[in-house]
Amino acid sequence: MSDVVLVFAYGLVTAVATGLGALPFLFVRTVSGRTVGRMNAVASGLMLGASFGLLAEGTRFGGWQTFVGGFVGILFILATNRFLHEHHFRPGVTGGGDGLRRMVLIVTVMTVHSFAEGVAIGASFGGGMALATFITIAIAVHNIPEGVAISAVLRSNGVSVARCAGWSIVSSLPQPLMAVPAFLFVGAFAPALPYGIGFAAGAMVFMVLLEVLPEAYGKGSAREVGAITSLSMIAMILFQKVVAG
Amino acid sequence: MVTPLTVLLYASVAALASVPGGLVRWSADIRRNRWIGWAHALAAGGMLGAAFVLTVVPGVAPLAAAAGGVLGVAFIVLTHSFTGMETLDLSRPDRADPTAAARLVVTHSLHASTEGVAIGVAMAVDLSLGVFMVLAIAVHNIPEAALLGGATRRGSEGGVRPMGLALLSNLGQPVFAVAVWILISAAPEFLPWALGFAVGALLNLVMTELLPAAYREVGSTSIGVVASVALALIVLLGNVLP
Repeated sequence: MSDVVLVFAYGLVTAVATGLGALPFLFVRTVSGRTVGRMNAVASGLMLGASFGLLAEGTRFGGWQTFVGGFVGILFILATNRFLHEHHFRPGVTGGGDGLRRMVLIVTVMTVHSFAEGVAIGASFGGGMALATFITIAIAVHNIPEGVAISAVLRSNGVSVARCAGWSIVSSLPQPLMAVPAFLFVGAFAPALPYGIGFAAGAMVFMVLLEVLPEAYGKGSAREVGAITSLSMIAMILFQKVVAG
Repeated sequence: MVTPLTVLLYASVAALASVPGGLVRWSADIRRNRWIGWAHALAAGGMLGAAFVLTVVPGVAPLAAAAGGVLGVAFIVLTHSFTGMETLDLSRPDRADPTAAARLVVTHSLHASTEGVAIGVAMAVDLSLGVFMVLAIAVHNIPEAALLGGATRRGSEGGVRPMGLALLSNLGQPVFAVAVWILISAAPEFLPWALGFAVGALLNLVMTELLPAAYREVGSTSIGVVASVALALIVLLGNVLP
């Protein structure tokens, strides 16, 4: 197997792992308003925890670059959200209107943030097979809760579990796609990495504050939503620290 | 060399920052206004940033820190049940309830104590992180004191009382900062626990009090921008300064 195929295959493994995040929703039968609030709270915590991980990684490379990237990420979500509003985004899918806009936003945000992870996978091959395997496994495992976050938002809008898994995998497809060019042109990609990571973090934090948290507060008490969000965030931070070693 | 006196002095600076906050409310009535929402959002972003800076302290045992984090979350949940704070909101005081103002001050004092823990932990890690944490919390105290002053003020009373109350309720900051610093200096194995506790408590304060209050005043777009930019600035300063 040529190196390029191998890198692509590794990236694909991490993408498929994201789909596993839909599995817990096989066991959540009814989706009441209160459950929707809790699911959004879990998604918020997982995404904020993931952003903390990204910020920690980005600022290791450069604080200013991460900051600039984060700022552009906020602008990107503002623009995307405005675009979706202006085009009255409501084809005949369950949820419609705001629910659909929220779904499109979360899939977009997660897809965008996968670019940075794809670059990380590709670049890691420069450090040898052992490192690449380790990083790939780490990113694959770390993708599962991200799949949970996506599925929580999609499932609470009435999307089937199979489709939740499908969209979760789609959101991670940039990983195999970006891993190959990053592997081939490591030198060119390295300086852009903190900007990309900052961008992903900014987009994710802003998306949570703009859509996911307000939706959660609207469906449950501040005390319950607050505690679930904080605990999910702590769990995600712990998870990343343990996986990253 | 950091001594308990250094910690006390720095943490007092953070508490004193509430004085100008008390003045804001005193000179202009900006209640029920988008500025209140933005002040909450600014405080929320700043506290998230402070929590982030603590999570990247190197060499902290992750499991103990996470366990401390769960305790921190639980502490805030218990505080709220204890004071019946669930129905209380700094920016929407219930004027018919005479105990509301007192409960607000008690709740805010407990809230300030967890910030004191954060300062004490940061000082125990190293002085520059401690000073950074003092700055982050001092900045966050200003809008908070403005909100507290407005909520406890009744009728045409002067500004001295709200200012005094804001200062009084922030006394927990220096007290807990010094206590936690002494504890960690004596028994360093408590560091991950105290650090996790501070992170969990700060996060849950943001999620239970600050953000919901912010969303009640203004739309989520401007709240999102203010809070995420505040978070980004604190993360940048935490990375560039120390």
